[in-house]
Amino acid sequence: MKMRFWGVRGSIPCPGSHTMKYGGNGACIELRVEGRKEIIVIDAGSGIRELGNSLVANDLPNGPLQLALYLSHTHWDHIMGFPYFTPIYIPGTKMTVHGPVTYEDDPLKDVVGGQMKYRYFPINVGELASDIEYKRLREEPNIDLGDGLLLTTKFLNHPITALGYRFEYKGKVFCTCYDHEPYRNLFITDPDHPEYDEAMAYEGEEVAQEQNQAVEDFFKGADLLVHDTQYTEEEYKTKVNWGHSTFEWAIASANRAGVKRLALFHHDPDRTDAQIEEMEKTYCEPGKYGNTEVFFATEGSEIIV
Amino acid sequence: MEEEGAAHRKAITRFIKRMPSLSTTVGKVMEICSRTDASPNELNKVISLDPVLTGQVLKLINSAYYSLMNKVTSLTRAITMLGMNTVKNMALSTAIIRSVSGAKKSIALPTKQFWAHSIATGVCAKLLAKANGVPVMECEEYFVAGLLHDLGKIPFGDEYIDVLQKVKVDYLPLIDLEREMLGVDHQEVGRQIAEKWKLNEAMTCAIAYHHDVEAAPEEQRVRVAYVGLANMYSNILDLGYAGDPFPAPEGADAMLEITGLSWDMFGAVAKDVEAEIEKAQVFLQS
Repeated sequence: MKMRFWGVRGSIPCPGSHTMKYGGNGACIELRVEGRKEIIVIDAGSGIRELGNSLVANDLPNGPLQLALYLSHTHWDHIMGFPYFTPIYIPGTKMTVHGPVTYEDDPLKDVVGGQMKYRYFPINVGELASDIEYKRLREEPNIDLGDGLLLTTKFLNHPITALGYRFEYKGKVFCTCYDHEPYRNLFITDPDHPEYDEAMAYEGEEVAQEQNQAVEDFFKGADLLVHDTQYTEEEYKTKVNWGHSTFEWAIASANRAGVKRLALFHHDPDRTDAQIEEMEKTYCEPGKYGNTEVFFATEGSEIIV
Repeated sequence: MEEEGAAHRKAITRFIKRMPSLSTTVGKVMEICSRTDASPNELNKVISLDPVLTGQVLKLINSAYYSLMNKVTSLTRAITMLGMNTVKNMALSTAIIRSVSGAKKSIALPTKQFWAHSIATGVCAKLLAKANGVPVMECEEYFVAGLLHDLGKIPFGDEYIDVLQKVKVDYLPLIDLEREMLGVDHQEVGRQIAEKWKLNEAMTCAIAYHHDVEAAPEEQRVRVAYVGLANMYSNILDLGYAGDPFPAPEGADAMLEITGLSWDMFGAVAKDVEAEIEKAQVFLQS
């Protein structure tokens, strides 16, 4: 498998002189599996625009595009590039959009296509020339995608329903785990609090730990893991419940799970190149945090899995 | 005729007296769910007090979110994994439908069809409100108001069969014939149930004024108009059956004006109604 980062930022694109090195575009990853005509795309943040241009220039001449877009979730920074993805305007393109939908929300087609209404955009989703199908995903192990490619999906902890994806091909594993915040005990743990309930406090703790373990099991042994690391431990103190992880958490849990390479991803839009370079010294020093090779995801970089 | 009317009223009052009260649990769930500052502990405790409700909520969560793996087996687990809001919404809808379905069924109206109409009206009210820019957090109340609007039909006895028959033969609005033949209409009966169950003013008004929107208190009129329109919509399109396939069309313009909806917007909900109804049906599975 070969993957390429087309966008590595969280929250909002942040182009400018301070983000030239690691990139300012929002989440988008391209995944190619040898011998497979269908190209996999994970997330449609603003980075998908350049991916679209590249596909039109380099792949379209070989025949109509077959695409499978997997959305981690439908927050805006992960879908905002969709209207600017040129292949959707090209007749002959076949694309399946997969993603989770929060219960009681609109169908996936409306959530993603809803940004293509005249009030937001000059072209309506109904006017697209390509053939697009929408499929709601839930948590499921070992979905057979054909050609020996297996997919496992896992619910993550985020304010809306979000999925992590685990692709397995010929014994190699590529995994995404974003947007995600470690599960924690939501129940009152102070025995002196008037609403304290021992059983709830105990089970809340147990479930949080168990779910964190389930996420680790999900990316166990991955050759490459792309993990949400929007904050430092210090920053996180004021961002609890925002749905994102810290560097410290991601590195420790990737280590425990025997992940071979960990890409720190979903960089905070305020994080400058200079800051990331400084952080590399702390977080990416070989051997400092165990055997996992840790690096900051960089827009445009390509990795063979 | 007057004597007959008085007899019907007496029978209905007796029926309502014997109806079960809205359970304390449901009342508390409603209260917790309408507060934004409720803690996970409070929510958990209130739902857990009622083991049947707990079971239904968990079943709903499992069918909506999970396949075979990773079954959610406790409320603490559900709240940790899915968050407060999801669990809150599911508990509220489940609790209301259950308590209403628990009441003795009307003999004249087939239960399944009656609830299909109620769900369709709830769904339409919610979609219309949403289409017109009502904040998403408030739309659930429109659903519940639509769901409960015809509660007042439940206590009618055998005499209702004749009324429903005459509606079909003469193509007349049901409420006119209720007044003419029974001397009491389902809005008035519904209000008595709402009072017994101590439903809030928004729900009570939806039940008591959906055919007479302009008579509703001013601060409730807009929501009542949405329910009135939604009711008309599901009646005309035969979504379920609650005995009123020929509603008086005159009220529609006034209700559109009150809500600020256009005829086009009214018609445009059609594309989503079916999918939404299917989603809501899940609440009725036991």
